Amino acid sequence: MNRAIRQLTAAVMALYVVLFAALNYWQVNRTDELASEPGNTRALIRQFDTPRGPIVTADGVVVAMSVQAPGASDVEFQRRYPTGELFAHITGYYTFGLGATQLEQTKSNVLTGSTFTQQVLGLENLWTQNNDNSGEVRLTLRADMQELARELLGEREGSVVLMEADTGAVLAMWSYPSYDPNLVADPDYDAAFDYVTELQADDRDPLLANAYQQRYMPGSTFKVLTAGVALDERVISLESVWPEEREYVPPQTDDPIENYAGSICGGDLTEVFRRSCNTPFARIAIELGPERFEDGITRWGIGDRIPIDLPRAVASTIGDFTEIDQNLPLLAMRGFGQNDDQMVPLHMAMVAAAVANDGAMLKPFVVDAELDHAGRIMNRTQPDVWKRPISRQTAGILRALMVGVAESGTASCCIALDGGIPVAAKTGTAQLNGPGQPERSHAWIIAFAPVEQPRYAIAVMLKGTDAEISAGTGGRLAGPIAKRMLDAMFRIDPPVIAAPPTTAPAPVPTSAPAPVPTSAPAATTTVP
Amino acid sequence: MAAEAHPVPARLVARRRSTELLLTVMAAAITALAYVLASLGANARIPARIGPFLGLLLALIGLAHLAVRKLARGADSTLLPVAVLLHGVGYVMITRLDDRLAGLQSLWSLVAITAFVATLLFVPRVGDLARYKWTLFFAGAALLLLPMVPVLGVEVNGARIWVRLGPLNFQPGEFAKLALAVFFAAYLAERRELISASTWKIGPLRLPEPQHIAPILVAWGFAVMVMVGERDLGSSLLFFTLFVVMMWVATERVSYLVIGFVLFGLAAFVSSRLFGHVQTRIDVWLDPWADEYGKGFQIVQALYGLGDGGIAGTGLGRGSPDKVPEAQNDFIFAAIGEELGLAGATAVLIAYLLLIGAGLRIAIRTDRTFEKLLAVGLTTIVGIQAFIIVGGVVKVVPLTGITLPFVSYGGSSLLSNYVLLALLLRLSDSGARRLGELPDDPTARERWLAWRLRRSTPPAADATDVHEVVA
Repeated sequence: MNRAIRQLTAAVMALYVVLFAALNYWQVNRTDELASEPGNTRALIRQFDTPRGPIVTADGVVVAMSVQAPGASDVEFQRRYPTGELFAHITGYYTFGLGATQLEQTKSNVLTGSTFTQQVLGLENLWTQNNDNSGEVRLTLRADMQELARELLGEREGSVVLMEADTGAVLAMWSYPSYDPNLVADPDYDAAFDYVTELQADDRDPLLANAYQQRYMPGSTFKVLTAGVALDERVISLESVWPEEREYVPPQTDDPIENYAGSICGGDLTEVFRRSCNTPFARIAIELGPERFEDGITRWGIGDRIPIDLPRAVASTIGDFTEIDQNLPLLAMRGFGQNDDQMVPLHMAMVAAAVANDGAMLKPFVVDAELDHAGRIMNRTQPDVWKRPISRQTAGILRALMVGVAESGTASCCIALDGGIPVAAKTGTAQLNGPGQPERSHAWIIAFAPVEQPRYAIAVMLKGTDAEISAGTGGRLAGPIAKRMLDAMFRIDPPVIAAPPTTAPAPVPTSAPAPVPTSAPAATTTVP
Repeated sequence: MAAEAHPVPARLVARRRSTELLLTVMAAAITALAYVLASLGANARIPARIGPFLGLLLALIGLAHLAVRKLARGADSTLLPVAVLLHGVGYVMITRLDDRLAGLQSLWSLVAITAFVATLLFVPRVGDLARYKWTLFFAGAALLLLPMVPVLGVEVNGARIWVRLGPLNFQPGEFAKLALAVFFAAYLAERRELISASTWKIGPLRLPEPQHIAPILVAWGFAVMVMVGERDLGSSLLFFTLFVVMMWVATERVSYLVIGFVLFGLAAFVSSRLFGHVQTRIDVWLDPWADEYGKGFQIVQALYGLGDGGIAGTGLGRGSPDKVPEAQNDFIFAAIGEELGLAGATAVLIAYLLLIGAGLRIAIRTDRTFEKLLAVGLTTIVGIQAFIIVGGVVKVVPLTGITLPFVSYGGSSLLSNYVLLALLLRLSDSGARRLGELPDDPTARERWLAWRLRRSTPPAADATDVHEVVA
């Protein structure tokens, strides 16, 4: 019998070798595949079992935080967004079943305390009961300004972007419609899934921020870019004069380009910019030609993804230029912000800021600082120049042109600031309908203030979704919103230099303005 | 009877027990460390009940060790430590999974160790068991069929393997396997020549006489009945493997192995056609992801756990083995694989191999057929039961609900496994005594019989007479 017993021993050993091989298969060979199975929630559970720090606005309002999950839950913590939809497009959401977006996704390491710096700083916790290493993200945005933007925009689709002209720090960035991240982070997965499905089915795209994830036809606000390119290329100057005309027929067509509402328009640069005539800018685009126009516009960052510290921002565009020399009428239309021109609202605020900032366009950012568990600042966002689309001289000329718009042009109705703080602006009314179709247009305004040593730049866009918006103009519809925003900001943080009351149009600045602060710390962004 | 005398039996034997004590203390130390680590991993706290836990642990291993030292001095020194290690790892895992079950498992541990000591105490001569083979056969059969009795039997998770007697629930199958192993060892020891003679000719086939093979067929019938009536595929496979392996070892004819597994395969195939639950098990085995949130949930979650554990594991208390239903029971190996990783899971597999190796070494060392077969049978129970459930968890074989010996939660399982361990130690001890490694001291009963004999006969009687009386 001993022979059989020895054979049995060998057989049982062989069986266990099979078990060992199978264990190796699952625990060594297939770990990645198993980890990426959609039904595998183990990695997520691990994340949800660790505390996660808050996201706080510049004025100290908590907009994302972790709370103890209800007892029956799989995990210890659940994410709560006390301000609801207000900061949804900034914070994004952090959920068990539906992943994470925006800052909740990109700053997850900081919030959970898993960056290298935090791991090192967290070593002091080694011998205490406290093992909470979670960090904090502090925003440049202000909750009060964001709230005001929401109130001013109301139920109209569109966006309001307010930023510091000289640093790129975003102070308010509100898009309507938004969504409530609390409902997406609902521990009841089915309810959360239904809500997201509903959001995805909504053709207004509430999950996407109008401010930086959508683009819209800019209308006349685009004339700032065209004028900037043409001034830099010396195709035009302040002395240029255009004929008073109702329409202009570009080459290669018989179909004329008309001014807004079919008016007769013309004069020198200040005049045509102030009144926002279309025909001169069509002529400018043709005069520049496709190549110089495209190159110049590209210098403004058109075609590049906006370098904001939020994921999935989009790029502005001026359409396809490959066959444009056979289709010059399209080039003419793109010269004044029609046809295939599509601008991201945030980008328009950056355009205003670049003009304000002597031609330097800064990278926009929403994260002011990253803090560790003890509130120490680990990282602070430094202002950084993204593009230099125009020369300082050109910026000076554009600034004067925009002051004209604010004081006696298309924005004069609505943009004058409280306390007489001088302001510069450009309006836009982007016609979306073809001839004969019902009137449909986006209403835009971009502005910055004060004119000397500018502090804030703003872009307001209202989508042409209804007759009321479509019948109005950028100045009348978007202008008051921009004014109220800037007024509120100056109440919070009054300008250092009292603005001298101005009655006459501001003279063209010829003296060199203050040097551009390109890398100065953003000292004013974190005033609590 | 005894082979050649060992040169230094006493010292060897003394060292054997000391080795056992050292190894057992090491196993207990691993358990205690794991207990603290699991609590630290889960909530960064030294466990509140560390005092009572250490007390119970030391009391239990002390009791078990003293029992072996007193009652089975010559037994193998690796069996008890390996069992303590497996038991300890299982206990830590159960505590980590469900605090409420931990208290019950402590109680079961106490009961199991008591049963272990009692077995050593009341079975001084393992050969005596052979005399009760028919009693054990009917007891085993009755235990096996008990859950099918309408009022007593309770169905849990689709398998009808539980019996409820007042406040007490137990799985009679766990004890039936021991009774049947003893019966088979005794029956086959008695008739192995007759069975292997194969004088009954049917055409080209040469089979043993029907009256000799009948009980084997009855056993096969039981296995099928258990599979059908109690939906307990794991136990059915275990019983059947046990019988076939013992037949093979007893007769040394591989044909029994082949015929046995062909018969079982046939039965399994037919029942998979006839009964939905068998087919379901096979479908889930082939592709658990086809019904990931339904029938495949348990195995899929177990595999996620294993994958998450990787080589080193997530660390005790830091994984989420509670995602797997029945993790404290049939799926405790998945919990071990998740939190202790490939390293820990492999250590558990090696522990079983050590148990199997020690068990089969006992079978080889002893010269009595009954003891050989019993050692083979008991070892097969542990080895195959662990294989069936671990194989089910790692998707090597279809999943069948069965406990992992010494590790899983449950009183019946722990109790029967410690009785099994005591029997193996007893077999090992008697083998060593017959090899002359230590003097074959008479048992208490034998001393009493000898004393009575001396009173009734003249004082000329010597020790060999005593043996004759006993035999």
